[in-house]
Amino acid sequence: MNTPIQFQRDWHDEFLKRIEDDGPWANWELYNLALEAESHTCSPDFLGLQSPNHLPHMTFLPHQLNVAKTVIEEMNGKAILADEVGLGKTIEAGLILKEYMIRGLAKKVLILVPASLVIQWEQELNQKFFIPAVAQRKSYVWEQCEVVVSSIDTAKRSPHRDIVLNQDYDIVVIDEAHKLKNKRTKNYEFVQLLKKKFCLLLTATPVQNRVEEIFNLVTLLKPGHLGNQENFDKDFRNDRHSLKNEEKLKQLVNKVMVRNRREETGLKWPKRIVKTIPIQLSESERNLYDSISELKSEPYFQRSKFAVLTLLREVCSSREAAFITLRNMLQKLENSPYAQQLIASQMKKVELVTQNSKAMKALELIQSIDSKVIIFTEYRATQLYLQWFLQQNGISSVPFRGGFKRSKKDWMTHLFKNHAQVLIATEAGGEGINLQFCQNIINYDLPWNPMRIEQRIGRVHRIGQQGDVYIYNFATENTIEEHILNLLYNKINLFESVIGELDEILTKFEMKNIENYISDILASSESEGEIRLKMDNLASLINLEGGIQRKGWEEHAAARDSSLS
Amino acid sequence: MQQHEIHRFLERYFIANECEMVEKNFSYMKVQLTIELDKVLMNRPFYWHYQEKTGAPPNPMALTLVTGQQHPPDGKGEFIHFGSPRLHQIFSSAKKLASFIRMYESVPRQGAHHIPLSPWLCLNVKVSYRCDRKKDMILSYGLHLINGEIQSQFHDRLKTLLLTKRIPDFCYTLSPLIKPVSGIKRIENVITEYIEQDDHSWAADARLRWKEDEDLLESFYEGESDKPESYHVEKEALKTQYDPAVSVEIINGGLFYLQ
Repeated sequence: MNTPIQFQRDWHDEFLKRIEDDGPWANWELYNLALEAESHTCSPDFLGLQSPNHLPHMTFLPHQLNVAKTVIEEMNGKAILADEVGLGKTIEAGLILKEYMIRGLAKKVLILVPASLVIQWEQELNQKFFIPAVAQRKSYVWEQCEVVVSSIDTAKRSPHRDIVLNQDYDIVVIDEAHKLKNKRTKNYEFVQLLKKKFCLLLTATPVQNRVEEIFNLVTLLKPGHLGNQENFDKDFRNDRHSLKNEEKLKQLVNKVMVRNRREETGLKWPKRIVKTIPIQLSESERNLYDSISELKSEPYFQRSKFAVLTLLREVCSSREAAFITLRNMLQKLENSPYAQQLIASQMKKVELVTQNSKAMKALELIQSIDSKVIIFTEYRATQLYLQWFLQQNGISSVPFRGGFKRSKKDWMTHLFKNHAQVLIATEAGGEGINLQFCQNIINYDLPWNPMRIEQRIGRVHRIGQQGDVYIYNFATENTIEEHILNLLYNKINLFESVIGELDEILTKFEMKNIENYISDILASSESEGEIRLKMDNLASLINLEGGIQRKGWEEHAAARDSSLS
Repeated sequence: MQQHEIHRFLERYFIANECEMVEKNFSYMKVQLTIELDKVLMNRPFYWHYQEKTGAPPNPMALTLVTGQQHPPDGKGEFIHFGSPRLHQIFSSAKKLASFIRMYESVPRQGAHHIPLSPWLCLNVKVSYRCDRKKDMILSYGLHLINGEIQSQFHDRLKTLLLTKRIPDFCYTLSPLIKPVSGIKRIENVITEYIEQDDHSWAADARLRWKEDEDLLESFYEGESDKPESYHVEKEALKTQYDPAVSVEIINGGLFYLQ
């Protein structure tokens, strides 16, 4: 079969005109340079990667180069990139994109990411890959710009939807693609209708347990690869949750999915050294804690047990945090003098607190560490207090909040790196904030959602971290904090597992709202014993059902032990 | 392309464009752009529009480019490496500025004889094989516009000659018998022949991959008599992804009068 040959002929007319006009003619040196430039930019082979030569300032890891090559040469540019968190899926996507652009196989590119990551993708593509990506802000951008980054929610909405569906995209990249697992959603249907030659779906959690979801994701990429629904059910499905012919399914899925695990990459990960710092409340602090604890049994607060729980957590953090909540409660309780009186008496007790035992411990620790420290707290009042308190003791710190604009986050990171010893953060700061120049984390108080702890640690414990990472968990003795720490640390080994694994387990068992489980246990239990029992059950649920993963943990732990010896 | 090659390339580029080198060493160069090159590289059409309207004295910019470890004393300058957008802008500007050429062989005077120079048409082309992958090659052909002889790798031959913009004294040009239009056509035929004799397993392989994916697609929608839009979208996308094609683009070319 003959392959059609197209001659581009626009050169001809201009040439004939120049002969007619006797010029103008180029100079010989420039003529040679033009030809040399062309020979430098052409791709002499179908195979291999050109992009790394174009990006000499980047150091790509072997597994990232491998992924790019595999996706282009074996998967024909349609793939699910499913590396574990922290191995650089964005980098892999950038490499693949760059390669297609260098080879002239891609011009028009659409990148759909969560709204919070739009700016970050835009920046990374521009700065790391010299890909002129533009964040979609005006509707003309869809048509006029070649590489557009947008959230899927914007893109699928009128009036954008029709414009976007009208474009012929060379590549569509979708970050957090696991959100497309349900084929009955508008998002799924929208992506299905996009005209796309190549397609990359990025996800850290390819959900293997739900037969349905993996089927939908692969089908989005390559309809028919796993058969149609009917064949698929017949070939692979046992019942709603379980599979048959699993090996065969895996083989098929692996034809369109690349997944690197941390252990396989051979990358050396810094060690995590976890220390629990027990803290004894002072007498006045203890008084306040106990007195608020008693509110639980007050009939008036029967229905607002969660509010009481919040208060207790705040007392463990700082009297300032508790005070603000109490003041707010007081304002809301205007029509109940009795409750008002109860709250007011708590506020009096707040005023009686003379010291912050935790803050003193933190100060002592920071002074002994003598290098950069990040303190994470859940409360802004605590954040402010700590900043003041450290200042009083001659330690400079910078604040950090999730609500900061990107530029402010970058600025604070810069200040922390160059001018301050301590960063006090109320949130992990979002993706893309890298603090790997710091080796010490103080969990001043603990969030109840384990994923948030992972995110905290993940800012520091990542590729590029040179030293070991020290994690200090503060826990006030005989308080709810102790229960939480017991569950998260002692029972499910959270702090020592690596990023990603927990995410998988929680997704797998739909325990994203583990926070609610925990509050429920703490709020509704009648006694300490009951709390302990229920927490134990929760822990063993996570551990037991985490089956395979737990094995992974043990192997990981074993590897860690041997690296110690 | 290594950094020293880039350095050399830039130097030659600016000299060829008659820009003044204000400052240079092995690691950086500061170049005073000409008006023409400022318009090509600096992307400030409003300034030039304004300047032309008001007749203000033109003020083309100076450009500092760094290719090595050492920076200029004022610390300013753009670092240029193989992937930098500036270099690729310069690459494509070279192509735009040097698409058409006419040169004469510089023949030393031999007694009182007048020396005839024969007209050649030279085309440098980029041939691209593309499917879901791509490969390029550069070919260069010269056609003798009187006797019809065609030589491959013609540009390499030209590089060994001494060429000048103006016809040397004591030389005269022979009139071509073949018109440029049909000359181009003849070279196109040779290129077509070259391509057709080349190995095309890449295209056959691409068609196989295409067929595989299309079969999967068909099986997915099998039994649906009224195929949904997503089917047609995907089917068309597979075509643009895999359908193999060859394209031939002229990089530059022109007339050469040779002995």
